[in-house]
Amino acid sequence: MLSEQLLRMEGINKSFPGVNALKDVRFEARAGEVHALLGENGAGKSTLMKILAGVYSKDTGRIIYKGKEINLPNPRAAQHLGIGIIHQELNLAQHLTAAQNIFIGREPRSLLGLMLDEKQMNEDAKKLFAMLRLDLDPRTRVMDLVVAKQQMIEIAKALSFNSGLLIMDEPTAALNDKETEELFRIIRHLKDGGVGIIYISHRMDEIKKIADRITVMRDGAWIDTVNAADVEMDQIINMMVGRKLDEMSRAPGVTGSDEVVLSVRNLNRGGFIKDACFEVHRGEILGFAGLMGAGRTEVARAVFGADRVDSGEIFICGKKVRIRQPRDAVKHGVGYLSEDRKRFGLALGMDVEANIALASMEKFLGFGGVVNRKATRKTGAQFVESLAIKTPSLAQKVRFLSGGNQQKVIIAKWIVRNSNILFFDEPTRGIDVGAKFEVYKLLNRLAAEGKTVIMISSEMLEVIRLCTRVLVMCEGRITGELSGDEITQENILRLATLREAN
Amino acid sequence: MSTIAEKPVAAASAQKFGSSATQKLLAFGSLVVMLIIFSLATPNFFRVDNMISIMLSTAVAGVLGIGVTFVIITGGIDLSIGTLMTFCAVITGVFITNWHFPVLIGVLAGLLTGSLIGCCSGVLVSKLKLPPFIVTLGMMLIVKGLSLVISGTKPIYFVDTESFNLIAMGTMLDLSAIIPDFAIPNAVLIFFGVAAIAGFILNKTVLGRYTFAMGSNEEAVRLSGVNVDAWKIGIYTLSGAIVGVAGILIASRLNSAQPALGQGYELDAIAAAVIGGVSLSGGEGTILGTVIGAFIMSVLINGLRILNVPQEWQTVVTGLIVIFAVYTDNLRRRKG
Amino acid sequence: MKNKKLFAVLVLLIMFATFAGAQTIYIPLISKGFQHQFWQAVKMGAEQAGRDFKVTVTFEGPESEAMVDKQIDMLTAALAKKPQAIGLAALDSKAAIPLLKKAQAAGIPVIAFDSGVDSDIPVTTCTTDNIAAAALAADRMAALIGGKGDIAILVHDQTSRTGIDRRDGFVNRIKAKYPNIKIVSIQYGGGDHLKSTDLAKAVMQANPNLKGYFGANEGSAIGVLNAVREMKRKVVIIGYDAGKQQKDAVRSGEMAGAITQNPVGIGYRTVEAAVKALKGEKLPKIIDTGFLWYDLSNMDNPEFIPLLYD
Repeated sequence: MLSEQLLRMEGINKSFPGVNALKDVRFEARAGEVHALLGENGAGKSTLMKILAGVYSKDTGRIIYKGKEINLPNPRAAQHLGIGIIHQELNLAQHLTAAQNIFIGREPRSLLGLMLDEKQMNEDAKKLFAMLRLDLDPRTRVMDLVVAKQQMIEIAKALSFNSGLLIMDEPTAALNDKETEELFRIIRHLKDGGVGIIYISHRMDEIKKIADRITVMRDGAWIDTVNAADVEMDQIINMMVGRKLDEMSRAPGVTGSDEVVLSVRNLNRGGFIKDACFEVHRGEILGFAGLMGAGRTEVARAVFGADRVDSGEIFICGKKVRIRQPRDAVKHGVGYLSEDRKRFGLALGMDVEANIALASMEKFLGFGGVVNRKATRKTGAQFVESLAIKTPSLAQKVRFLSGGNQQKVIIAKWIVRNSNILFFDEPTRGIDVGAKFEVYKLLNRLAAEGKTVIMISSEMLEVIRLCTRVLVMCEGRITGELSGDEITQENILRLATLREAN
Repeated sequence: MSTIAEKPVAAASAQKFGSSATQKLLAFGSLVVMLIIFSLATPNFFRVDNMISIMLSTAVAGVLGIGVTFVIITGGIDLSIGTLMTFCAVITGVFITNWHFPVLIGVLAGLLTGSLIGCCSGVLVSKLKLPPFIVTLGMMLIVKGLSLVISGTKPIYFVDTESFNLIAMGTMLDLSAIIPDFAIPNAVLIFFGVAAIAGFILNKTVLGRYTFAMGSNEEAVRLSGVNVDAWKIGIYTLSGAIVGVAGILIASRLNSAQPALGQGYELDAIAAAVIGGVSLSGGEGTILGTVIGAFIMSVLINGLRILNVPQEWQTVVTGLIVIFAVYTDNLRRRKG
Repeated sequence: MKNKKLFAVLVLLIMFATFAGAQTIYIPLISKGFQHQFWQAVKMGAEQAGRDFKVTVTFEGPESEAMVDKQIDMLTAALAKKPQAIGLAALDSKAAIPLLKKAQAAGIPVIAFDSGVDSDIPVTTCTTDNIAAAALAADRMAALIGGKGDIAILVHDQTSRTGIDRRDGFVNRIKAKYPNIKIVSIQYGGGDHLKSTDLAKAVMQANPNLKGYFGANEGSAIGVLNAVREMKRKVVIIGYDAGKQQKDAVRSGEMAGAITQNPVGIGYRTVEAAVKALKGEKLPKIIDTGFLWYDLSNMDNPEFIPLLYD
């Protein structure tokens, strides 16, 4: 079974205007294996997979599937051949129901194909969910579901094509550990049924767990394909970044001073935050751990004034403050770096310089409200250098920067704004390994400079490596605090699932 | 076993469903309240003949509203419907009066014209990736100009073909023997018929499903292997055909095709859709909502006129209603 | 490349236009509209005069009578072509004054037509006396309903000169001479046939005892006519201007009668006045182009034929 070749791609080239995205790439996959495809962001993984799914067309090269050379002019062609893909971004119509999303484009019909057979569709979806052991009403609108469940709908959709080959592009980005386990169970189940799975992820621990073979890509080129059992993760990372990294060991933790900078007491907001109390010190990195939907983002947003709270007090440097909207928070030196950079953090169509200055325009205003370009340019250049933002120029639109560099631009923006208390919500989500380390270094540096960093992260290793103190949340409550050597995967998980007794 | 146990989410979803239903009731409720207030204010309002007048005056704007509802749900907009309606009327007039074709052929020509222009807009929007606002703005001017050119800037009358006038003003539902004055003009019946068919298409057919899906997340639909462009063209074509129906109705009621009319009607139609809860950002809306929205507008104007409210103030009140309707709709969304 | 070509063509066109203008006497007429039947008739008269006096006449106007700005643009463009004289039916007489001053400074005589301009600049104004015409309609209405009862007026708009004059001419005459007649409603339908219809229906709904209804232009009159038909009521309708539907209604007796202006005459007289002004002839301040009452009894008389356009 294992030796049966399912897919072979060879000599694949693809250019976009100005970019040579894929250079003579080869790739193969077997039936019944999980084949991890690794590489930093921009290495060409997603492009290669989009070609395989019929989203992009290749410039040159051959694709052989089940022994026959195939052509993939559009997504439908790939689907017909049994090649399914779960895209990195959720691709669901928010206003439609779960079942409607799964069967979009091939709805069961009745009345001579004129009418939709909604009943049949919901039944089919139900069967699918049962197979995935997913407890979900097919008639629920997607917009009413949490991201994790939406992700499961994407998976169910891909499975519903009876795919022989299933591509999963970062399927766990929005899942917590428990959900990830559930996904792995499904993957193993599919594997046993002879489905070939191509798995893209940035989470190394997952790869080790699930992958049979690993292919590494770098800068649009194929680097190597190896058996997962035969290699150490360090080797893989070296292949990915093309240089040696020794940062997998624990960073020298930054311990803050005794001075309490932010103190939150009895914060409540509907069912989302229940009686949250905590303190943060100057110069420390405080971690917020927990499962998706545990209320960590909600706490950050509440302190930042982005959501109305029912009750609670906030003290900054010992003084009680009223924060009713983000403007108040910013005035008190609180910054919030959203998990969704593109939606909330950046003006993507504007350049690096403008983005850095955006939150503090009043600093750069000259006579009569004219923007002082000289000053913004100077500040921009200063941060590009000090944060090592990789950009061809200050005039580069932020849209074209990599995830890690976008994150740095946001950090620069908040530092310019004189923020001393910075909430980082999933700061490394969707950015590649090399850039992750740079973000870690930057967080450490900020803390060392006396800023207070509060980091929300679903990547356990990240929390363990960076934070000196960790608060764990579950279902809106802070269920415990860990510090120093107590910060272990086991302890965090225990607290993260510590549900209220009845 | 459940993979994810999220009670608060389930609760939130139930809450949301509740408030969505309230919104629908709210629109209908305000219509009823308006009817009651006007009825109490003047004895001339709540009478069979006036109710029929209101329905008749809603027919054209209502049918246009139904047409534009499809386009708005896809996340687009159609500014050409007002002048396109006139263009269809003019084409029908040319066929029937100038070329002496049978009425049926003229009507079909009008409907076909609407479909064709709708199709053109659809092609421009989907294939050339132009914004619907711009495409339909251009189309609005193009068909307006064409109406004037083809008609020679003169109205075209249907005086020689009396049956044409019966399309809108005849009646197939005459119960005046039982209830005095209760004879519903065909225009109103056609309006309700179009609403029923449009509701069926929107809720029960693939075209309707893709209308919502595209307005919600077009990329998702494309990646699902659906030929998004073709369906979008289909939706604009359908919308154009419905506008054609409005063209026939206005021509039949006025017994003439007035080439200079039409501009401004698109705004009334869009307002009706918005009042009825159709979201301008796409993905949401119902035909029933649009019909109620159209009725709210015409009941309001009819009532204020009967109460002899100065015309300037009628306009102000209508504007306030539009803003208020969108505000309540927004409020509901934010809560969700 | 393409742009350059286009530009060259444009330059040629403009040169040609100015050149052609310089050859013969050129008189542009800027009207209030051109879609309406009334303006088409004015245009016909103007063109006839152009042929008779051997001058080049152009006729243009904005699409709707609300587009004051467009009309100003047209006037500016027309003046830029250095015409010998110019005719103007101002939508907003005050807005046009700066441009008219320019024309005066350039020695271009201005002939106002259809409605006057509040200024001394026009050498003359060729117009219908709308106040007197509406007063005549009021007299007829009073006679037809027997001097007492409720009546209503539907006007095309409340800001234009013709709208104001016809409304006031009618209302003032009723108030002055017929104390037993009550005007229960004055509404404005923008000349839109469909909107005027729905409006008139609501007014009749509110006033079950309405005896007469005056529509102050073609669109308004047709609106009233449709409303009465749809509600199957007996109301005396008096209209204004002509057009096929109105004429048919008068012929069938549904409409008691209507006032007609002399649009062909307005156009003809305007061009004629311009030609006279260029010859240095003295002109009266106002040239009344006349108005007439028509009904079933007289509408087929030969003198009405040119006045009652379709």
